[in-house]
Amino acid sequence: MKMKRTAVAFCLIGLVSEACSNNNESASNEEGNEGGGGSGTIEIMSNLHTPEVPEPFIEEKVEEQTGADLSINWVPDNNYNDRLNTAFSTGTLPDVVYVNFNHFNQFKDAIRDDQFWEVGPYLDEYENLSKLKDNVLDNSRVDGKLYTIYQGRPLSRQGLIYRKDWAEQLGLDGPPETTEEFFEYAKAFTEQDPDQDGQDDTIGLTDREDLVYGAFKTVSSWFGTPNDWGVQDGEIRPEFMFPEYVDTMKFFRRLHENGYINQDFPVTSKSDQQDMFKNGTAGLYVGSMGDVGTLYNDAENINPDVEYDVHNRVKGPDGEYGIWSIPGFGSLQLFPKSAVETEQELRKILDFFDKLMTRETANLISWGIKGEHYTVEDGKAVMTEDSQKFDREVKPYQSLEIGEPATNGSYQLKAEYAPKAKSEELNIDNEDFLIEDPTLTLDSETDLQKGTRLQQGINDATYNFILGELDEEGFEQAVQTWRNNGGDQIIKEYTEAYQELQ
Amino acid sequence: MQSQTETKAGKVLSKNEKWELIKKRIKKNKLIYLMILPGLLYFFVYKYIPMYGLIISFQDYKPYQGIMGSQWVGLEHFKRLFADPDFWMIFKNTLVLFGLQLIIFFPVPIILSLMLNEVRSMPLKRSVQTLIYIPHFMSWVIIVSITYVLLTMDGGIVNGLLQQAGFQEVNFLLNPDWFRPMYILQVIWREAGWGTIIFLAAIAAVDAQLYEAAKIDGAGRFRQMWHITLPAIKGVIVILLILKIGDVLELGFEHVYLLLNSSNREVAEIFDTYVYTAGLKQGQFSYSTAVGFFKGLVGLVLVVIANWLAKKAGEEGVY
Repeated sequence: MKMKRTAVAFCLIGLVSEACSNNNESASNEEGNEGGGGSGTIEIMSNLHTPEVPEPFIEEKVEEQTGADLSINWVPDNNYNDRLNTAFSTGTLPDVVYVNFNHFNQFKDAIRDDQFWEVGPYLDEYENLSKLKDNVLDNSRVDGKLYTIYQGRPLSRQGLIYRKDWAEQLGLDGPPETTEEFFEYAKAFTEQDPDQDGQDDTIGLTDREDLVYGAFKTVSSWFGTPNDWGVQDGEIRPEFMFPEYVDTMKFFRRLHENGYINQDFPVTSKSDQQDMFKNGTAGLYVGSMGDVGTLYNDAENINPDVEYDVHNRVKGPDGEYGIWSIPGFGSLQLFPKSAVETEQELRKILDFFDKLMTRETANLISWGIKGEHYTVEDGKAVMTEDSQKFDREVKPYQSLEIGEPATNGSYQLKAEYAPKAKSEELNIDNEDFLIEDPTLTLDSETDLQKGTRLQQGINDATYNFILGELDEEGFEQAVQTWRNNGGDQIIKEYTEAYQELQ
Repeated sequence: MQSQTETKAGKVLSKNEKWELIKKRIKKNKLIYLMILPGLLYFFVYKYIPMYGLIISFQDYKPYQGIMGSQWVGLEHFKRLFADPDFWMIFKNTLVLFGLQLIIFFPVPIILSLMLNEVRSMPLKRSVQTLIYIPHFMSWVIIVSITYVLLTMDGGIVNGLLQQAGFQEVNFLLNPDWFRPMYILQVIWREAGWGTIIFLAAIAAVDAQLYEAAKIDGAGRFRQMWHITLPAIKGVIVILLILKIGDVLELGFEHVYLLLNSSNREVAEIFDTYVYTAGLKQGQFSYSTAVGFFKGLVGLVLVVIANWLAKKAGEEGVY
């Protein structure tokens, strides 16, 4: 009995330490060296946007064309940031790290500490890398120096996808041009039985548990809210201190009160949100307009008569257009000194990426093999009809892309489905009225430390306001709490950094 | 018995003699000591060595500088934790969920195993046992998803039934009042069956003669249960209870994180979820470790108190 008790006691003490055991692995830099260094293999860690790791067919082709030996570590996009943090904390970063644009700030400390190669001075030596857009590169500079290359993405793909057949059925004329018209659409889609089945089984807008990539942020830019941070009286202030943000909340509250939006949207997943749109429950979807293609593929199987359309220009109460933008890149590539030990190795890697930016190789990773995965029509790529084959063999490699069609010469997509083709045009149209985040290249230590947690308080208050659990005064209090617990410090730090640049 | 007298005698022995005695005893029982060696080794390697990592909770830990190179900041991270305006809310939520586990969940497997013990038909008992084990093997993701599908206001079955029966719809998922009932019901549904295993084993070990004697004295089923079965397994119950208290740390990050949303955060945020959002997501390794460290200390204190209480009540305790 005594022995047993001792064992149990050991066990209990053990529990205490368990919570911390994840973080303690030795963090010496040496660990990352194996494999990456002298062997000639280029190790890459990148996001995987498909359920399965791709077949290595394309990878072999890329190796053939570039003469490089690759080893790609695919990490599911869902927990990419977590995995990256772990690799970083255990000193096991590979030669090339793809960092999501909204995760980049966490690496600035280490960048300043000289843990990554500065690539700015080298880029001009390479024929293709030198073509990378300066205005996009500028968004990723740290203290004026360049440590990354980028994977280009359209500045804003946000907009509205809606049921055109429903709108026509109800005699609604054209797409909603203003936020008030948008509201009328949601109302009509809910109350006037757009599917003509005699049942009260439809709603207007379908949304999900995401204030950024769901509907909220896009609608808030229609109202003219700044993109995360705005400038007022020479001071950088968070979006939720602007009256437009509160107006957007009120707008959503009205939608929610009247049942024009799914009632459980703060806990609805993306797939459930999209299902409601596909199966004819909801008629409005706000998000990335390009999604209309995949949405239609599925919706067509449920109801062959479904008709979608996309739309981007929606005026706010002030009569102006606006749409939030990303910095022009989806991810950035960092080169850790722990893995890339010599300048020679760095040049070898940059040489690989330079070749990856040639028209031939860029098309290979974007579209696959000509004739097998795509054909060319009017100078644009048409994807094979076997979309599963494409997803399995090609799609994952798209996340390796460096630059964008304009710089790497790859084909633009020629979409067979008209609304999809239109969405590509509207992405470009969006560039006429972008709302940019003024803090992109600014730093705030407090934001890095406490930002996420503080933002959560605001997100909670936003949801609760929309649900009617909180009044305007309550929201004001949440903002005050934000300010008192570090927000004021963040404002101060950003403002100082901002004024320095002016 | 013998070992006890030896220990008592040991008090008057000098240090040297004591050491000799221990050596002699190890020699005598070397096989038994050899048998606990793997266990000890396990705890040393996987539980004690990692404790070295606790150091970083007193540092401004930078992965690339390592534990040796990072700057010391003393109790800075603990100060930040205690100064966090949400600290007491999180502390309270953690303890409330723990209390629910203890008061509502803990007795369920005991009652269930007492009931199973009364089932006379062996095939029935076996199949019921197997059926109630099954939920234990389902992941929380599945259980929470099923709950979501049943309870959502956008076409969920439960709200549909409520509406048809003429009641108001209830927003189970977003209403903070429903979080705790939902949490504890899910825990019971998943774990109660699994929890009966040890109790059933303890019940099986009760001397059948006792029941026969009680029957002769005229005790009915219920009396037998109350006066024989329960006292017989009391020791097991107390030990499991103390071990459970040690688990105050293990409320199930996955489970709570899945249930957590913007409207129920005030009752659903616990230390584990806080560590994830405030620490790990932002790469704040030192701070996360400090919070985990604090949580561990709370658990330790609770276990020590529970053990002391158990001993006061004349029970064995775990150490």
